[in-house]
Amino acid sequence: MAILIRGAKVIDESSAYHLQTVDIFIENGIVQSIGHSLNVKADTIVEHPGMCISMGWTDVFADYREPGFEHKESIATGLASAAAGGFTSVMIAPNTHPTISSKSVVQYIRKQAEANAVSLCPIGSVSHNIEGKNLAEMLDMHANGAIAFSDGWKPIQNVSLMLKALEYVKSFEGTLIQIPMDANLSLGGLMHEGAESTQLGMPGIPAIAETLQVHRDIELLRYTNSRLHITGIAAAESVELIRRAKADGLKITCSVTPYHLSLNDEVLRSYDSVYKVMPPIRSEKDRQALIEGLKDGTIDCIASHHRPQEWDAKAKEFEYASDGMNVQELSFAIAHNATNETLTIEHIIKSLANNANTIFGLNKDAVQEGACADFTLFTVMESTQLNEMKSRVRNNPFLGKSLLGKVLGIVKCDTLVMNN
Amino acid sequence: MSLSVKHLLGIKELQQQDIETIFKTADNFKQVLQRPIKKVPALRDTTIANIFFENSTRTRTSFELAEKRLGADVVNFSASASSVSKGETLIDTVNNILAMKVDMVVMRHAASGAPWFLAQHIDASIINAGDGVNEHPTQGLLDAFSMREKFGDLSGKTVAIVGDIMHSRVAMSNIYCLQKLGAKVIVSGPPTLIPKHIESMGVSVEYSVKKALQQCDIANILRIQLERQQKPLFSSLREYALFYGVNKQMLDSLNKEILILHPGPINRGVEIDSDVADGKHSVILDQVENGVAIRMAVVYLLSGNREMPE
Repeated sequence: MAILIRGAKVIDESSAYHLQTVDIFIENGIVQSIGHSLNVKADTIVEHPGMCISMGWTDVFADYREPGFEHKESIATGLASAAAGGFTSVMIAPNTHPTISSKSVVQYIRKQAEANAVSLCPIGSVSHNIEGKNLAEMLDMHANGAIAFSDGWKPIQNVSLMLKALEYVKSFEGTLIQIPMDANLSLGGLMHEGAESTQLGMPGIPAIAETLQVHRDIELLRYTNSRLHITGIAAAESVELIRRAKADGLKITCSVTPYHLSLNDEVLRSYDSVYKVMPPIRSEKDRQALIEGLKDGTIDCIASHHRPQEWDAKAKEFEYASDGMNVQELSFAIAHNATNETLTIEHIIKSLANNANTIFGLNKDAVQEGACADFTLFTVMESTQLNEMKSRVRNNPFLGKSLLGKVLGIVKCDTLVMNN
Repeated sequence: MSLSVKHLLGIKELQQQDIETIFKTADNFKQVLQRPIKKVPALRDTTIANIFFENSTRTRTSFELAEKRLGADVVNFSASASSVSKGETLIDTVNNILAMKVDMVVMRHAASGAPWFLAQHIDASIINAGDGVNEHPTQGLLDAFSMREKFGDLSGKTVAIVGDIMHSRVAMSNIYCLQKLGAKVIVSGPPTLIPKHIESMGVSVEYSVKKALQQCDIANILRIQLERQQKPLFSSLREYALFYGVNKQMLDSLNKEILILHPGPINRGVEIDSDVADGKHSVILDQVENGVAIRMAVVYLLSGNREMPE
């Protein structure tokens, strides 16, 4: 199979062709040549006005619910959604049943995606069955392909367990991933605590419920000299804490979701449970600080926090509705729309592609000759308006809305998956 | 006469003109309630469902009386005796009731925002009879109506709301209603029971109950909502009564007289002593009486454009 990508602007700081518009010829999954007006014979030619190409994007935190909750998202529908969203790799949270707490579940999940253009990288649980008590078999899971470790939506509360876990993964230079939330301070809370929650009569989740956990984990990291990735930061103070920890030389990285970059807590005025997410959507001041953090490099990655919920789980009173947003397919467009006045496209792409590649050691090649093809094709000249999703469910408030920026497709080895 | 809204979800969404309209209508119905025959046939073609997902005696009774005195047919539905305990969703429950040709829904629900959610999914008018810790609009209206009876215009008056502000939908509806009528609001109670960002609503905070009473013309003493607290917010009822309870000695030490309200049910000897609750400045039973007139007004005004009954 030979693929010719004609006239694509390279957005990849690690490539010698960065910001150049070139033709890229891929044969047998390898980039054979890059140049202008290449004269080669290809089975497929990809051409699109305003097309850009980058290293394949990685979603560093998403929920697919197989095994256990296939009615929310199976691996097959999740992967289709990832490809449509421009992702060539997805790190999935251990939010399955059984949880990803053993080698066999890691192997099962990897096997389901074997033939797919999108690589599936399971995140193993830190504690056994995500019970927050004893350490899971992280060494064994690592040896069988678990990419990182996290207790997912039930972040580790027990300080002693967190410390031991940070130490335990040092033997293989593993990375722990934490969603920052103190379960005691957030108990009963439904949205960001502030003027909006007060006026809506909704129990609040104070920013300190997040920042206290960030602060605690930074100090544990300082003590253990391990590796930590905090995902889904939402409060301005979290950005500042991580900024200082990075300046101190700690091995800390973090990610933000597209919806935290895009929305503030005023959207909750509708009491619409589509906006019920964890950590909660915070104030405009927090949102601006997140964009600033992304701009100055404090925030490394954009993680979808893709959390599909079926209609019945959301069509409820806000308090009883499940949290989470179905984001993967629109990650790029949502993030780009929220930041296109403050951030360059190169910066957004770096946050979707290169940074995750480095942090989690994915070994993706830059857009250059000899590279194994693992690329994302997109344009910033056109808009996306989705009315249907590849995902099994539709809990996303951006459906039907026009967002600037469009994913055209992905190339992985010999496989080309193009959006219509 | 009509309102600017289709539902009464919260006072937050009412215009000042709506509140005045409700009060004027309630004035008329209050006269009706003084007659030997306390009934008008205004809504004899209307069926109203009172759907209470939380226990309630007085609010439900008050609504039921208001509806019956307007001539409406009434059906009561409570969660404990319903299919909710079998796992039915709110939309299904309400749609099943509406399928039996019910015209209006009065709903109390434990979740904040539940009436807003329901309003997105059904066509009938909804009256919020209390949602979580958000609003209890008819209570806010009847409280302000009772104050207005004594003071006339509330503009420039100061009202202290005392007690558990954090878990009180009555406090929220009072704040919205009183501010729309031009009154100044002080909230008072233990810091753990006062929402951190309450000042963003334009009210002032005074932790000392006595200082709050010194500054106000009217005090609305709230019930301690032990059933709503998920976290320990004060040490004991004894300590609360000692330091935050309103008693006669405290009132006597003020160099003025203030009007006392309480939305009920009263924890006597906790947030308020009996000699205050039953004292000459208390309008607690007036509130109950006015509650029926206010609810008649709200139900009547939301039922559509009809001629005001003679």
